[in-house]
Amino acid sequence: MYQYSEQDHQLLLERVAQFRGQVERRVKGDLSEEEFKHQRLRNGLYLQLHAYMLRVAIPYGLLSSDQMRTLAHIARKYDKGYGHFSTRQNIQYNWPKLEDVPDILDDLAKVEMHAIQTSGNCIRNTTSDPLAGVARDEVEDPRPYCELIRQWSTFHPEFNFLPRKFKIAVSGAIHDRAAVAVHDIGLRLIKNDNGETGFEVLVGGGLGRTPMIGKTIRPFLPKQDMLTYLEAILRVYNQLGRRDNLYKARIKILVHETGEEKFRELVEAEWEKIKTSGLFIRDEDFAWIKGFFKDPEYESLPDQDGDYENLLLSNPDFARWADKNIELHKQPGYRIVYLSLKTAHQPPGDVTADQMDAIADLADKYSLGQIRTTHRQNLVLSDVKLKDLPALWEELVALDLATPNYNHVTDIISCPGLDYCALATARSIPISQAITERFDDHDYVNDLGDVSINISGCINACGHHHVANIGILGVNKKGTEVYQLTLGGSAREDAAIGKIIGPAFEADQIVDAIDKVLSVYLENREDPEETFLTTYRRLGQPLFKERLYG
Amino acid sequence: MALQVYTASLLKEGLVAYLTLENGSPSWTPDIRLATAGTDAELEALKLAAEQSELENHVVAPYAIDVLETEAGYVASTKREQIRASGPTIRLPQDAVRASRKAA
Repeated sequence: MYQYSEQDHQLLLERVAQFRGQVERRVKGDLSEEEFKHQRLRNGLYLQLHAYMLRVAIPYGLLSSDQMRTLAHIARKYDKGYGHFSTRQNIQYNWPKLEDVPDILDDLAKVEMHAIQTSGNCIRNTTSDPLAGVARDEVEDPRPYCELIRQWSTFHPEFNFLPRKFKIAVSGAIHDRAAVAVHDIGLRLIKNDNGETGFEVLVGGGLGRTPMIGKTIRPFLPKQDMLTYLEAILRVYNQLGRRDNLYKARIKILVHETGEEKFRELVEAEWEKIKTSGLFIRDEDFAWIKGFFKDPEYESLPDQDGDYENLLLSNPDFARWADKNIELHKQPGYRIVYLSLKTAHQPPGDVTADQMDAIADLADKYSLGQIRTTHRQNLVLSDVKLKDLPALWEELVALDLATPNYNHVTDIISCPGLDYCALATARSIPISQAITERFDDHDYVNDLGDVSINISGCINACGHHHVANIGILGVNKKGTEVYQLTLGGSAREDAAIGKIIGPAFEADQIVDAIDKVLSVYLENREDPEETFLTTYRRLGQPLFKERLYG
Repeated sequence: MALQVYTASLLKEGLVAYLTLENGSPSWTPDIRLATAGTDAELEALKLAAEQSELENHVVAPYAIDVLETEAGYVASTKREQIRASGPTIRLPQDAVRASRKAA
C-alpha cells in the first residue's frame, strides 16, 4: 500500500497543529461556532444527535493491521469502545469530545491516516473495489489510480469549495463492487477493441432525494488522461453547478438540467485546454505509484487442500460459511474472505475495539497484514491461504465475525438513522436487527440466494435504499416512524433505481412486508438459480403489490 | 402554546443538555426531566439565558422543544427528541457482544 513521503507526514502534522489551535480558540471563545463549524467539518468533525461524530478517511478502503490497531485504540481511549464502518469505506466515531479530537488526529497521523475532506463541499475519500488487486475478474488494479486521485484531490485549491460534496469511485473489475454508477464520478477500467486499458467515465450518479444513475460521458478514456479529464469535469461543475439551492447543487442535477450531450461538450472543450498539462500521467510517475501496489510474494500453492475439503464435507457450519463468505483469488492456493459485520445484535458496520484488535492480529497471521473495508459495510481479508481457512474460520466464529451471509438477505446496509443522526427522521438500525432476527434460518437465507436489503433513515439515502433489491426508507409521518418499500434497485454493473411499491408500513409491519416480498419471489422464480432481482424484473410489481396490499 | 424547554449541545463534550433556570441563574443538565419549562414570558427568559450561554461558549445551537409534563418530570414530545434525550434505542456494540456471549 502507499507509504507516506516526508512531505505527506509534514502536511498532516501541520494540519493537526492547525486544528489544535482552532479548537483552543473555539473553546476560549475567540472563534464563534459559525466560524469554527467550517473548520471542524473540513476535519471530518460533525455535531450529531447525541455528540460530536468524527469521520476518518480510509483511502479506497485499504487498511494496514497497524492502522486497524490505531482505530481500536481511538475507539477505546476517546470513544465508547467501538467504531462504525460506513458505505463510503470510512470509519466513524460517535462520541469524541471536542478537546480530544486534535489528539485523535495526532494518533491517526502517526499511522498515515486523517479525517481531511471527509466532510464539506469538497472531493471526498475515493472509494473502490474491496477486492482490488486480488479479484479474478479484474481488468486492472484500480488502487494506483485511486491513490493518484487522492493526491490530486487532497487540498486541491480550486476544488476546495465546490457547490456541494463530491464523491468518486473507481472499479477495475468486470463486476462492480464499488457502486460506481451512483457516484458523482464513476470510473470503470475497461479494455477497448484494441486491447488497450482505459476508463469508462460516468458522471452524475447519486442517491439522496433525487436518485440518478450516472451517465457515460466518455466510453473510453486513455489511462494517462484520467486526472486531466477529472479536472475538466470538476472545473465545469465548479463553474456551473448551482449554489443557490442545496437540493439542486450536486453534479447530477447539473448533468440532468444541462443535458448529457451538452455537458459532455462542455467537459471535452475544457479538457482540450488542459489535456497536455502537468496532470497528464507520465509512465514514470505511474510506475512509481504502481510500485506501492505490487503483488506480494505469493507462495506457489496447490488450489486444493485435503483438510479444507474434509471440513467442508464434515462440518455444515463451515461449509455454509465457505460457500457464502469466501471468493476465489487470482492466485491459486489463496482465497478472499469476507468478515461479516452483520449480526442480529450488533448494528450493521459496527465493530468493537476488541474486535478491531483481533482483526488486526488475524490480518497479520493469515492475510499479509492488510484489511479492506467494503461499501456494504463488511471487512475483507484479501490474501488467505486455502489451507488456513479452517483455522481462520474458528477464530472468526469466536469473534462473531463469521455470519454466513455475504450478499444475502441479512447482509443489510443500514445508515445510523435516528439513533445517531441529526438529519434522520426514522430509525434504521432496529429495523435491520428485526429483519436479521426474523431471517435467522441459514437454510432459508441460503435458499433466497443473492438479494440485497438496504435501509435509510431519511431521504438523504445514506443507507443506499434506492439501489437495493429491496430498499427501505424510514420517514416520519405525523409523528410516527413509517417505512416505505422500493423494489428492483441494484448498485452493481446493472445499476438501477428501485421503484416505490406502495404506501408505507409501520415499524411493526415492515418485517412481515419483507417476508411477503420474499415469499412472492420464492413462489414465482423459474428455478433456484434465478435471483430475486431477475425474478422481479421479469414479473414487475403487480404480484408483489397484490401480496402486500391485496 | 405548548410547554417548552431549551436544549443544546455542550461545546466541549458535544453531549445533549437542557437548560435549568433557578432564580435567574442558568445551568445545563443532561436530564430533560430536570429542565426548566415554560411558555410565553417564561420561555422568553429561557431563550435569553440559552443565547447568553451560547455567547459564553458553554453550549452550541440552543433551540426550544415541546415537552409533556409527567409525574417523573418533563418528557420530549417528539420521537427525535425522546431519542436525543435518552440515547440510542439499541444496545451499543460492546454491550451487545457481551450480552450475546452470555446468552450463548
